[in-house]
Amino acid sequence: MEPLNEQQILNNLRQQDDTSAQYYAAWWLGKMRSRHPDVLPLLIHTLSALDEQPVDPDRRGVALNAIRALGLLRNKSASNELIQLLQSDDYSVREEAARSLGCMNDPTAIEPICQRLSGGIETAGREQDGKALLREPCEALIEALGDIGLNSSVIRETILPFCQHPRPLVRAAACRSLLQLTGSSEWAEELKTLLEHPEPLVRRGALLDLGATGWAAALPAIKTAAVEASLKLVALRGLAESSHDTNVLDAMDDLL
Amino acid sequence: MTMADLETAQIELDRASNTAELVRATKKICALRDPSAAPTLIKVLSYNNPAVAATATQGLIELGREIVPTLLISLNTGNYGARAWIVKVLAALRDPRGLDQLEHALGADIAPSVRRSAAKGLADLDLHGSTSSEELFRCCNGLFQACRDDEWIVRYAAVYGLERRLTSLALTSSMQDTGRSLLKQLASEQEDVKVVRLRAGLALQRLSIG
Repeated sequence: MEPLNEQQILNNLRQQDDTSAQYYAAWWLGKMRSRHPDVLPLLIHTLSALDEQPVDPDRRGVALNAIRALGLLRNKSASNELIQLLQSDDYSVREEAARSLGCMNDPTAIEPICQRLSGGIETAGREQDGKALLREPCEALIEALGDIGLNSSVIRETILPFCQHPRPLVRAAACRSLLQLTGSSEWAEELKTLLEHPEPLVRRGALLDLGATGWAAALPAIKTAAVEASLKLVALRGLAESSHDTNVLDAMDDLL
Repeated sequence: MTMADLETAQIELDRASNTAELVRATKKICALRDPSAAPTLIKVLSYNNPAVAATATQGLIELGREIVPTLLISLNTGNYGARAWIVKVLAALRDPRGLDQLEHALGADIAPSVRRSAAKGLADLDLHGSTSSEELFRCCNGLFQACRDDEWIVRYAAVYGLERRLTSLALTSSMQDTGRSLLKQLASEQEDVKVVRLRAGLALQRLSIG
């Protein structure tokens, strides 16, 4: 079977009958970083499904993929729509919107993100009754602040309490962002400790967080961590792209 | 070493019920350094447990090229994880008998980590002997194709491979030109991913191509 071309993919997103074709199309356009002028309006259009009552689960899935694609496309003309989604009642919608806003590096998202996190670990970071989820998608919100990269005392004070969160991955997100914002190695220590956590999921998360900070001194810790090579390569990519250090590229060659 | 050692170790492996026990049992089998343990180690690769698979992979690599035929037969497995590890072992053993499978994996496997290992294998296979120039061309053609892969890590591995293969004096000048122009393309803004651009720039520099 021939792979679909961009025009067919756009048609698949435009039609309304086959949501699985729309779902794939939204993913594809983000993955391929499509620059077609119709992409942005079509992706944004799928978000209207989130306002319907009740929300159709298939159209919600398409919208979630569209939110991710908007982040990958990094076109700031979509940021207003994404910022509005931070007020959604749907946890996953807020989570994906935060991730995409982080990808877009748009400082106008900072204030609404800080609002969701205000109250710290007792409110935003508290577990929902009877569920594994926290009240807010704290990891995504905190990481977005680090990715946007604007350093101010308000932002640091919003993140700081989450360094004490009982969940290791929330602590990792907080340390990652503070390391990104301040460049101060004190925040790397907790991440390095988490790299030796007995739980593989925590080690993987801490590894990717260290990579995202681009903190070059993390190279030896990343090389020796008990995590699969594919993830180490992703983490080292982050280090290489910010440090331009040939030693990082040599370490990547060894892991291929 | 006796047959009984391998049997005992296999029983221990069958009884293992958590990662620590599986790793310990796998390490015992690796320590026997017995090529007839290869099928057992290959079976372990399909347990979908990275710590155990990494141990078994290391053990298989240490068994050396004697096990290449066994590896080639077991690549038919439907388990993606296991195939990725087997391709990794084939790449690490650098045995030219793996060429067909590495070429096939690079062109057809849906898992980027498998294509990455395959590209690494095409870069590193030991080629000498009567058919080596044909094999060198096949390795280079595979790497040229990998330069156009959708996944950045496969393009990265292709750059690593071209850096190694373009130093060969046996290459035709048209293959040299193709390889160099692909590296230049991957070092330019036509390539979206910065780390691939950085690696291609380094390769050009090491090959003294501006």
